[in-house]
Amino acid sequence: MARFYDGETALVHEVSVRTTTNELVIFRLADAGILARWPIGELAVLGDVQHEVTPPIVRKGSEARLVVDDPELSRQLASLVPQLAPLAGTRPAPAARIAAFGATFAALVGLFWLAVEYGTEYVAPLLPYSLQARLGESVFDELTADKDECHGKAGVRALNDLANRLAKAADYPHEIVVHVMEGGPVNAFTLPGGILVFYSDLIEQATDSSQVAGVMAHEIGHVVHYHPVKGLVRQYGIELLVKLASGGYSDMLNTLASGGNVLLALRNGRGFERDADATGIALLEKLEIRADGVASFFEQMLAKEPKDAAAVAGIWSSHPPTAERIAATRRPSSGKPAFTDAEWRAVRNVCK
Amino acid sequence: MAAATTEPDLTPSRPRYDGRLSELYVIYMRHLVLMLLTLGWSRFWGRTRIRRYLWSHFAILGDRFEYRGRGIELMVGFVLALLMLAGWGGLMYLVWIYVFHERPFASFGLFDIFSLSVALIGFPLAFVGHYAGLRYRLSRTRWRGIRCGLAGSAWRYGASATFLTFANAICFQLLTPVVSVNLARPRIANTRFGSLPFVFGGSAGDIYGRYVGYYFLNVIAWLVAAGIFFAAIGGAVGGLGISFTEEELGELFTRPSLRTILVVAAIAIGVYIVFSLLILSLRCWWQAYLFRYLVSHSRAGNVLFATAISTRQMWGFLVLNYLIIMLTLGLGWPWVMHRTLRLIAAELWLYGAPDGASIRQPTDLGPRYGEGLLDMFDVSGV
Repeated sequence: MARFYDGETALVHEVSVRTTTNELVIFRLADAGILARWPIGELAVLGDVQHEVTPPIVRKGSEARLVVDDPELSRQLASLVPQLAPLAGTRPAPAARIAAFGATFAALVGLFWLAVEYGTEYVAPLLPYSLQARLGESVFDELTADKDECHGKAGVRALNDLANRLAKAADYPHEIVVHVMEGGPVNAFTLPGGILVFYSDLIEQATDSSQVAGVMAHEIGHVVHYHPVKGLVRQYGIELLVKLASGGYSDMLNTLASGGNVLLALRNGRGFERDADATGIALLEKLEIRADGVASFFEQMLAKEPKDAAAVAGIWSSHPPTAERIAATRRPSSGKPAFTDAEWRAVRNVCK
Repeated sequence: MAAATTEPDLTPSRPRYDGRLSELYVIYMRHLVLMLLTLGWSRFWGRTRIRRYLWSHFAILGDRFEYRGRGIELMVGFVLALLMLAGWGGLMYLVWIYVFHERPFASFGLFDIFSLSVALIGFPLAFVGHYAGLRYRLSRTRWRGIRCGLAGSAWRYGASATFLTFANAICFQLLTPVVSVNLARPRIANTRFGSLPFVFGGSAGDIYGRYVGYYFLNVIAWLVAAGIFFAAIGGAVGGLGISFTEEELGELFTRPSLRTILVVAAIAIGVYIVFSLLILSLRCWWQAYLFRYLVSHSRAGNVLFATAISTRQMWGFLVLNYLIIMLTLGLGWPWVMHRTLRLIAAELWLYGAPDGASIRQPTDLGPRYGEGLLDMFDVSGV
């Protein structure tokens, strides 16, 4: 009928029970000896029938347990004693519930994905700017810990002036800070919080000021679209999704997923580069500055390294194929120069 | 000398597991939905519900287990471990500021020093977390109304596990039997059911012979597998007359077509089959042997344990379960738990029954919070 564990020893008693108006009386089946009298008001059920086969009945504050195996007795007790009502619950058929939870789960995964994919577009600019700036500064410290920064005053000022003019033309509300690091690679990049980093090799290899202006405009394109923050948010979002959807248990899966995540990040990267190219050109044209520098700079790079790494790498590349970018950014050489002659000289000598 | 020579009761029995996979899936899918809605904070409660289901459907000698942990205990444990990590981060910040910052020899940043230090402390802490997690789970487990428990220091276990693992790595894994036995001993011998301690009577010397055999067979298996692999690749390329220029090969992988993906998948499966047939089955052979040894050298009072788990069953446990998780992208977890409990119920034999009257409820309630470190540094199932 039922089993009684006294809570003090590991003995098992085969028992039956009887209810009186104010007590549950537990007595041995063998000799009807009374083992316990539990006041009705102190009874409770631990757990529920969804999870436990036989949720134990306890007297509050005691370690003893009454486990009722007999379904009929369970039903009787549940109907007689209100606190024991959980014993009468039944498990609904699983199939319908699995289907309902499964469909909800699939819908939530889809929503989460959409939120990460498109929501970042709107959320990234809302992230407190001080936080973005602090993040950018700490990454800057990390990346440039073993590099020398160039401090040629006039050159740095000229670069900062142009950067802020371009950002203003895009109605970007914050200040841009440009750093120049000595040496290579021939590259420039953007960090959260409007921090631009140029390598001096890029400035040295530029044949004229419009190329530096072109690269600058491209980087400002990243800034005004909040690309660095968006990239981070997306990557973090997808990682979180995988973790949640796998129940939060498995690191094996995360390893598997991080491979997919890299591909996603790279795809994002290619999209970001295209946007930044287009925005950069638009900003230069808005300020009536010569906008042929982006394409000519790419051409120069392609001439130096005809086997384009981006095209060869395909889905593994963070940038679109260079030829495609040249075609998209080709502009006539009309327009004002980005720097005055004096400014351009200062920029060229920024590390000297 | 006249000792009491009553014949000990050695009636054999097996545990019974009567959970249903479909019911387990209801609980698990609900858990996944809540995970997404709460951004993961519901996992402590989800895990607790799953345990309640599994424990309650597992019975020994007709008496079901009870899991009485609470989600909030797991969450507090997690938050405490998080605070500990934050404290460590603060300490590393101070070290960086006062020792390394703006010094010429420091070509690394704060992040480097933090992640390096976490990797260093994370390794021993994972062992500590393992032990502490086991203690928590046992303290929330009841059978016949009596709490289980785990004595001994988790830190001591962490220290000895770290030392043994390093020593084993230095000795080309030749210390594996010593490590296995010495890490199993504290976990088994410190386990309590109420006032009844478990006893472990194994020693590494017993299993060394088999291990040395396994060790050299394993070396041979790797050589054979590598041989088969290269012969197959060479044969395929030569025999089918396939040849690629560098560009074609590049094109194949940078713009993968469906065909390339299928071919790569087929090769991966082929490699896996060779690997699993030779190396993993050998490993399962050893693991099954080790497991049988550990189980049969443990006892609880007058209850003896034994198992005849076979290499094939160990393969199902180690390899198949892993594959299920990977191929279902995690949705197979309940299936794996279900399979594992069914395996235990089928293969664990108990001889005798505990003397209920002599086993008392422990006074110790166990740790107040659970599994924080385990959550942080370790991958753990239910």
